[in-house]
Amino acid sequence: MFTRGYQVSSSGLLIVCLIYLQTEDVDGPLVKLPPPTTKLPREKHLPKPKPPTKWEEFAKKKGIKKRKKDKVVWDEQTGTWKRRFGYDHVNDDKDIPIIEAKMTDEPGEDPFAKRQDDKKKRVEKQEKNRFQNLKQAAKLGALPSHVQLAATALPITGTQVPPKKVTKDELGNVAGMAATSTASGGKFDRKLPGEKPAKKQGKHRKFLPVVEGSGIGSREKEQTENVLNKLISKHSHEILNVDKAVTMYNVKKEKKARIERIKKGGHHQPQTS
Amino acid sequence: MRPLDEKETTAVFEKIFKFTGNNLKNIVENPSHEGPDKEPGRYCFRLHKNKVYYVSDSLVKRATNVARTKLASIGTCVGRFTHGGNFHLTIECLNLLAANAKHKVWLKPTSEMSFLYANHVLKGGLGRITESIAPGDGVVVFSMSDLPLGFGVAAKSTQDCRKLDPNAIVVLHQADIGEYLRMENQHEQIIEE
Repeated sequence: MFTRGYQVSSSGLLIVCLIYLQTEDVDGPLVKLPPPTTKLPREKHLPKPKPPTKWEEFAKKKGIKKRKKDKVVWDEQTGTWKRRFGYDHVNDDKDIPIIEAKMTDEPGEDPFAKRQDDKKKRVEKQEKNRFQNLKQAAKLGALPSHVQLAATALPITGTQVPPKKVTKDELGNVAGMAATSTASGGKFDRKLPGEKPAKKQGKHRKFLPVVEGSGIGSREKEQTENVLNKLISKHSHEILNVDKAVTMYNVKKEKKARIERIKKGGHHQPQTS
Repeated sequence: MRPLDEKETTAVFEKIFKFTGNNLKNIVENPSHEGPDKEPGRYCFRLHKNKVYYVSDSLVKRATNVARTKLASIGTCVGRFTHGGNFHLTIECLNLLAANAKHKVWLKPTSEMSFLYANHVLKGGLGRITESIAPGDGVVVFSMSDLPLGFGVAAKSTQDCRKLDPNAIVVLHQADIGEYLRMENQHEQIIEE
């Protein structure tokens, strides 16, 4: 962009705009930025409308409306206000001291246990229904997000997480690996029938036999010889004592020169060492 | 009891090489006339409970009859491997080293006792010294009557020794025969020999 003959950079423009927008504040010049206009794209899809659960369908058909419930309810048994559900809740089986016998009761049947059993069955039924509802929602791709994240078997749309397959060998080693965390390294753990002993971690050290043939065997001889030769060759440069060798050489040279001089000059030459 | 593996053999040989030089060959290939066999066997190194022993063939063969927990020692213990994997020579190795030593030092009678109490050898106590010793070489210490007293590491070369003052350390003490008496508990086996 060119104004008055010289360039204005984009950052300069930005600063100019900021200066125009600024207002005076107690702490100093304050800039109120306009609301953003660029829209960022969504990473994941818009949540799909979840299908109505079995109960919701039933309620719609029958015209049953939801009612607001109180947190505390009057408990007839104990005569106090108790929670609707949870820790200290109404209609607890523990609070019933006496159950009157009815004509329809069979002798020898524990009514308290029966009540507990009935409750368990009810809870199980409810769980089953809830699960069926979730399955229905999953079929349409409308699982609630926290369930979607927890369910590792389902692929999350956008980032496919493949299921982790454990091979047969890995599974076999798992027990051994877990056993190493015991104090004795899993050595004395009771093993299932047919369970193989755990694989040893680390390099397998193989030693030469103590006695091969009669005393020292050929393999050991070979090994010691190798080591010995390597060592001697490593230090072979130290065998030669350079100073000594040099003096010896010089002495030899001088002796030779002396003999030559005697030979050449005959017995008139004085002996010089 | 098991033979040494390559790394261990190198460690042991290196340490002995410092004292003996090429005479190490004599130690390793020493013929042994022990045992009922007519042919001379050889000496070998065996590891037992972190101690390295120098044993003859025939003795090793017979020692295999003793249980591992009950075996106390075999042959001569030349050294031991520390917990960290380093190898140190012990005093029992002295006879081997003395016979094959390259660098020797003779002590004056006055300083013999000092060395036997595990003190270092000072210049003032030095009687004779072989030439061409480099600092860091293994040195075997003898008395003036050629009795091996122990071994150590040379602190200075022979040339430097001449220029030192009498209180300077010449040989760093590593082991001496006084240890047999001083360390009775540790060397119980040695006392019995």
